[in-house]
Amino acid sequence: MSEPLVVENVVSGYDQADVLSGVSLTVSEGQITCLLGSNGAGKTTLIRAILGLTPARSGRICFGDHDITHQSTHRIAALGVTCIPEGRRVFPRMSVEENLRVGAYTESDREAIKKRFAEVFAIFPRLKERADQLAGTMSGGEQAMLSIGRGLMSAPKLLIVDEPSLGLSPLLVKENFRVIKRINELGVTVLLVEQNVRQTLDIAHRGYVLAQGRIVAEGDAVHLRDNEEVRAAYFGG
Amino acid sequence: MDLGFIAQYLLNGIVLGVIYAMVAVGFTLFFGVLDVIKFSHGDVVMAGAFTALATYAGLELLGLGYPTFAAVFITLAGIAAMALLGALLAKFLILPLRNAPPLNTLLITLMFGLALRESVRLFYPNGSNPKPFPQLLPDLSLSLGNLELRFDSVLLIIVGLGAIIGVHMLIERSRIGLAIRAVAQDPETARLMGINFERVVLATFGLGSALAALAGVTNGLYYSEVNFGMGLLLGVIGFSAAVVGGLGSLYGAIIGGFLFAALQTIGAVWFSVPAYKDVFAFACIIALMAWKPTGLLAAKSAERV
Repeated sequence: MSEPLVVENVVSGYDQADVLSGVSLTVSEGQITCLLGSNGAGKTTLIRAILGLTPARSGRICFGDHDITHQSTHRIAALGVTCIPEGRRVFPRMSVEENLRVGAYTESDREAIKKRFAEVFAIFPRLKERADQLAGTMSGGEQAMLSIGRGLMSAPKLLIVDEPSLGLSPLLVKENFRVIKRINELGVTVLLVEQNVRQTLDIAHRGYVLAQGRIVAEGDAVHLRDNEEVRAAYFGG
Repeated sequence: MDLGFIAQYLLNGIVLGVIYAMVAVGFTLFFGVLDVIKFSHGDVVMAGAFTALATYAGLELLGLGYPTFAAVFITLAGIAAMALLGALLAKFLILPLRNAPPLNTLLITLMFGLALRESVRLFYPNGSNPKPFPQLLPDLSLSLGNLELRFDSVLLIIVGLGAIIGVHMLIERSRIGLAIRAVAQDPETARLMGINFERVVLATFGLGSALAALAGVTNGLYYSEVNFGMGLLLGVIGFSAAVVGGLGSLYGAIIGGFLFAALQTIGAVWFSVPAYKDVFAFACIIALMAWKPTGLLAAKSAERV
């Protein structure tokens, strides 16, 4: 079987400006692959290209056997690519339960949905206690849980987690990384996009470093930890 | 003034309130999912009424003008035609302008409404004059002192309220309703969850326009008359009701509709000249907007942290 996600030579950007100039990466089955890079490196643009939100100008993006380069976002989601978006983006005027229900929107089998509710509530018992609360009235940490839970409701084949530690306290960041590791151990392939180098490389199998729209380093997480390019990408050194 | 008299005004006010609420719900739905004001909405109300009228003429030609059957059939015809028109309008006029300034959408729908209105005037047989709307509902009434309890009014109230409650249930309980709310709150995240954005927008515009058609037919049956310009005032009233209630809020639109009808009714009782009732109602709306600029039930802009 082909790798879950293969990105080949993708060029993308907004209006006239190219943010990505030919990015290639591969996410392997069952692994956590991380994408590191400082602000403005093009991480978000790459994620938007994969998800069909800002389609790639050239290059190819394949998910399993499907070419998704020019697919619409909802079709890509229906194939099993789920995103836990940056900033959590829970639906503020929906209850916790409704948020989770939207997460399972592509699933029509009631029994399957019921089972997934049970799975998500097992990982986040807090969400079960708060099932009827409006998501907009919850704390940042609880919204982070909800956002991850909503992502799991689709039973993703590939889970893209975009900057999960942004704006959370160190304690919650640690908790978040633990949860992502656990989800991966349950068999979900993960693409983790982060600025937080050390903690990300602690849980990832492989990684890519993006700087100014190009991949400047790639390899096993253990090797990337001591890599000069990684340091350079972050500190401009 | 006695009790029967007051009850009569109350009953008339409720019929108007139902009509206004149906129009206002459309405005609030469109604004909710796409942040647009669709100014042709009032003319869709009118077109719905004229579609029903034309369908009735067709039924009569075929010798099928049995009142009860015809009432149901022409209402459904108007609803179906306007639902389709609403969806087409969304697909070909409103969605293509999604990335343009909102003012452009406002302008283009205003023009579309004008074109629709003038087409009915020019192309509907004798369209520039008011047309009698067939009285298809049983002419039964109960006299209680000064109150004449007309059967058709009661029926129109029941059907209208039923439709509003139905739309509310659809939005709150169904799968498509969940998708509509998701798109209204965060369109991009909704797409990430596998929701087909375009289909949700078309469904919403179809739904709102269907409700507008029902408002138009109700209006025709209640006043026994329709004219090509009827959508103008109904559109402005529906829009005001939605804004006063808080654009984007379903309850707000319903409350706004009944509030406007109540103000008109008070105006009608208060002033001996009937035309003052609209002046009074709109003046009150202006005062209300000054007091609560974001509407009575403004959808709280929940913080996206």
